Amino acid sequence: MKSFLIKGGIVYDPLNGVEGEVIDIGLRNGVIVDPSSLDPRETIVVDARGMMVVPGGIDVHSHIAGPKVNTGRVMMVEDHYLTNIPGKMGLRSQTGRTVPNVYKIGYGYARLGYTTVVEAASPPLKTRHTHEELDSIPIIDKMTLILMDSNWIALDYISEGDLKGLAGYIAWLLHATKGYGVKIVDPGADLAWLYGKGYGIDLDTQLPEYNLTPREIILMLGEASTLLNLPHPIHVHCNRLGYPGNYSTTTRTLELSSKYSTGNKISMHITHVQFTGYKGSTWATLGSGGEEIARILRRQRNASVDLGQIIFGSVTTMTADAPFEHVLFHISRWKWAFADVEAETASGIVPYRYRRRNYVNTVQWTIGLEVALLTKDPWRTFITTDHPNAGPFTKYPRVIAWLMSRRAREEEMKKVNRRALKKTALPAVDEEFDFNDIIIATRAAPAKLLGLEDFKGHLGIGAQADIAIYNIDPGKVDPSRDWKIVEKALSRAEYVFKDGRIVVRGGRVVEETYGSTLYVKPEIPEDLSKTIVDKVREMFPYYYSIQYSNFIVDLSEIRKPREIPVKTLL
Amino acid sequence: MTSTSIVQEALEEKLGERRQLEILLVTGRSLVQGMSMEAEGKRSRRYRLSASTLSLNPEDAQLIGVEKNSRVRVETEHGAIVVNVSIDPGLPRGTGFIPMGPWANAVVCPLTDGTGMPKYKNIPAKVRPTEEQVPSVEELVSIITGRRVDAHPVELDLREGEKKIIEDFVCPFCGDLCDFIKVHLNGNIVEKVVGACPLGSSKIRNYHRDRIVKPYIRSPSGLLEECTLPKALDKAAEILASSKHPLIFGLSSTVNEAIIVGVELAEYLGAIIDNTTVVCHGPTTIGVMEAGAARCTLGLVRHLADLILFWGCNPAEAHPNHFKRWVIEGGKHVKGRKDRRVIVIDVRRTATARMADEFIMVEPGKDYELITALRMAVKDLDIEQSTVAGVPREKIYELADALRSCKYGVGFFGMGLTMNEPRYRSLEELIKLAHDLNDWTRFTVVPMRGHYNVTGACQVSTWLTGYPFSVDFMRGIPKFIPGLTTATDALIRGDVDAALIIASDPVAHFPRKAVENLSKIPLIVVDPKWSLTAMIADVVIPSAMSGVEAGGTAYRMDGVPLRVKKIIEPPTGVMEDHRILLEILSRVRRLRGE
Ligand code: SF4
Ligand SMILES: [Zn+2]
Repeated sequence: MKSFLIKGGIVYDPLNGVEGEVIDIGLRNGVIVDPSSLDPRETIVVDARGMMVVPGGIDVHSHIAGPKVNTGRVMMVEDHYLTNIPGKMGLRSQTGRTVPNVYKIGYGYARLGYTTVVEAASPPLKTRHTHEELDSIPIIDKMTLILMDSNWIALDYISEGDLKGLAGYIAWLLHATKGYGVKIVDPGADLAWLYGKGYGIDLDTQLPEYNLTPREIILMLGEASTLLNLPHPIHVHCNRLGYPGNYSTTTRTLELSSKYSTGNKISMHITHVQFTGYKGSTWATLGSGGEEIARILRRQRNASVDLGQIIFGSVTTMTADAPFEHVLFHISRWKWAFADVEAETASGIVPYRYRRRNYVNTVQWTIGLEVALLTKDPWRTFITTDHPNAGPFTKYPRVIAWLMSRRAREEEMKKVNRRALKKTALPAVDEEFDFNDIIIATRAAPAKLLGLEDFKGHLGIGAQADIAIYNIDPGKVDPSRDWKIVEKALSRAEYVFKDGRIVVRGGRVVEETYGSTLYVKPEIPEDLSKTIVDKVREMFPYYYSIQYSNFIVDLSEIRKPREIPVKTLL
Repeated sequence: MTSTSIVQEALEEKLGERRQLEILLVTGRSLVQGMSMEAEGKRSRRYRLSASTLSLNPEDAQLIGVEKNSRVRVETEHGAIVVNVSIDPGLPRGTGFIPMGPWANAVVCPLTDGTGMPKYKNIPAKVRPTEEQVPSVEELVSIITGRRVDAHPVELDLREGEKKIIEDFVCPFCGDLCDFIKVHLNGNIVEKVVGACPLGSSKIRNYHRDRIVKPYIRSPSGLLEECTLPKALDKAAEILASSKHPLIFGLSSTVNEAIIVGVELAEYLGAIIDNTTVVCHGPTTIGVMEAGAARCTLGLVRHLADLILFWGCNPAEAHPNHFKRWVIEGGKHVKGRKDRRVIVIDVRRTATARMADEFIMVEPGKDYELITALRMAVKDLDIEQSTVAGVPREKIYELADALRSCKYGVGFFGMGLTMNEPRYRSLEELIKLAHDLNDWTRFTVVPMRGHYNVTGACQVSTWLTGYPFSVDFMRGIPKFIPGLTTATDALIRGDVDAALIIASDPVAHFPRKAVENLSKIPLIVVDPKWSLTAMIADVVIPSAMSGVEAGGTAYRMDGVPLRVKKIIEPPTGVMEDHRILLEILSRVRRLRGE
């Protein structure tokens, strides 16, 4: 494999404490090496003078693969008609807007300089499907979170108060599905949904069938994940998502994070916080809970959030929060798809449109930005649009521009609903992120949150050679004023290296490679493992409609699996 | 058809109009047709007897003086065919049924009304007694295609050897993908298949019969001539590389790994790629595009469904284990058959209807009206007519009430809905009915998918191209335009100039006009068995039987992905679909100068 020397670039590498220094970076055999060790005869020099050199971006929450994404594609067929890009020069054709095909996803992320993406929710029974799609997405590394909050076997362990058993079961399930972490979506809601319930349940709502509340589910799953020492903490979509007044559910959920955390590790990640950041008691009185969430988040140092920032325009909402999608269908009144999965979970899909003039949509727009700007801790506030729920991932540069520039926000605020703006703090917020903050929030911090900071999210020796180079000179450009230049530069990376190969050049994908699929393998004591397998085997024929052996995803089914071994505390 | 038939016609005219019956012709699956197709093959007596039969109501039969095994001539606007008669008291007066197959296709309606779906149901037909012979499958195919029908079936050598029992085997026949099958192997002999229904069992036990084991190229004499595999692959690649707008069709009875390569090949060639969805649940899929979906996995049916509706589908004959697995067996909340109310809606009293608590007979072609009326009843709106689609208004109110008041209802539906005149509008309406019902209770509607991996074919196509079936790459970008890019329409209009058929048999299942045109273009077939399409192909490439001799991923009708297994080595020199397609792709690339 060729080696490269990236010469003269302005490097941001927060994990190594590098903030805008001119440093040369060497890469060989897919990893970053000491530039002085490169053999000049075999090294291609990339002139990066006047450009910003950073680690490849990492998206901690996006819906890119799996059964509901694919159903979304079918449902949003009109999206595909006018958005086609023919495949040229060894690339495949791209299609789709809110729910693009696999090629558009892979190339799209690469063009932005992103090289690792987390699929946010996969039903265990259909995770083989999720892996098949992930396998077909070019360029990026990927991984998938596994839905667990309404899983009958998990709930059996939780209701028995068997923490060790639960931990063992999580380990088994992650291994059986080759998943990466524990996903909790409106905890308990999909269990209730099977019985026609689950609408707007809160932390202390009694769930049907099990003598349990969402609070107990979160705490036990959180504790078990801590015990397992999983690289990624529980990933929580809060109860009451999409309901006015839900910000308090979010802040109360946030407060649970310190109940089982160890040290200063992040023990809970709350996702697309915008959707659970509403004040007010009705849609008419809706207000932003951004300030309150930021206040609690600053205090709850074991928790992090991602934004789920609204982008005005059409989207396809898709979530394992099946009852909420039913509610949204009544609001949007167009199309609705849902799918219930035995013994595990459910999902819903509803297309939607965010309008600038709309009161509610404007409030929603302010919340994500408020949380990020008022928390002012890029290590714990991640930039997402919950693709494709709040907007497409391709709009990340726009979100970044809003965070970096008050003027960019003001520009947008001129076009939105005035009455709504008055109910929010955003117009008064002066904060602006700098380049370093952005690189933290999109690279360094996500790598840490996923427990991959050894080899991802930084540019130190030995790190994976996933690098983005943007044609922008942070020393010369004032993002506050020149936010349009920033947005443009970040939308089309000048160069992207994936595992040490050039995959993007001048904003164009030039080579189609395939990244790895990361999965965890928690080591658990043998006797525990045996007890778990016995119990799961016993329950399996009763709960499931397929055989135990046919449930397990074999490594041979995955194109390029990469195991992340986990030493547990069990 | 033939000169004798002219004499015959003259004779019959004398018998007068009295002996002519007007019916609505319905086509569909039957158990024997499915079993014999898998076992002895499509040239067998059993297949012929089962698929070349018109079932009639006893009174109708009497009216024209025919009985079991009499022969009748069935004539529609689209063609005529001679078939045997069978008597079925389950059929209403004025309806006739021919199992899907080449006989039925000779008379079905090729018009798709821009949906890709020909009309396989409710075609007005005239039936009268005849002394003519029922054509054999070979005769029929050669008349329609003008090609010499040629086949070289081989029964694989069976050798005893290591004895083993394969557990958790996944049946590669229908969309139920039963994954608890035990296969007892002795060497390469399937000694016993435990747990599979007659269809699945027949396919697995008879994997060795009627096989294609050598590649063939059609010679100038019009017969198939054996050749080497590289030669057949070269020839296939030449045909494809030199075509402007080829068709790749089938894929529903192979694994995802092969389908993925199929799509790549289509994209490279600028071809249309389509799977059998176009002639089964294409309208359902268009319904999803219009309205969404309301689905559940089958395990939940077992656990929760206290009301099960079968609408326009007959699992007793097409998915024989279905009823047992999801209706009779109990789960967490519903303990079994007696705790479920089972209702069948169909145009005839099918075998499934006989197992139900209640059968509602709908007038052929009127399902859409009935669904619409049900939606009104569910919303407590008044229905003005006293009967809708042959169903009394009171019955509709009662049914609506049952649907609203169950705890978890599941509606399985099949081609009785998709092949009708309104096509996707019926399905859109059905999905909306399910949506409405979820304001009252929980209700899902699940399509009964036929081929074992037709669901996978749609899924793969969707994530790769954005569209589930009928994707045209002619302009370098994927396009899906029902009526244009649908394989049926493209063939009927003569829009494609070469065809690669893989793991499917359009000659047996497409309307006559499509088959005629298919036979006019260079035709490549990849198949483990002698399908009718293989018998008229220009290039025949043998493949390993997926699910027995080749493994891979397949999706159950509810989207649950499973791995079908390789348990027996394929015949020497025979590759799996996935490899064959890769070989063709690399040859095509070479020929096009890459
Ligand atoms: S029902 Fe279908 S999958 Fe099950 S054994 Fe029969 S043919 Fe096979
Ligand atoms: Zn999400």
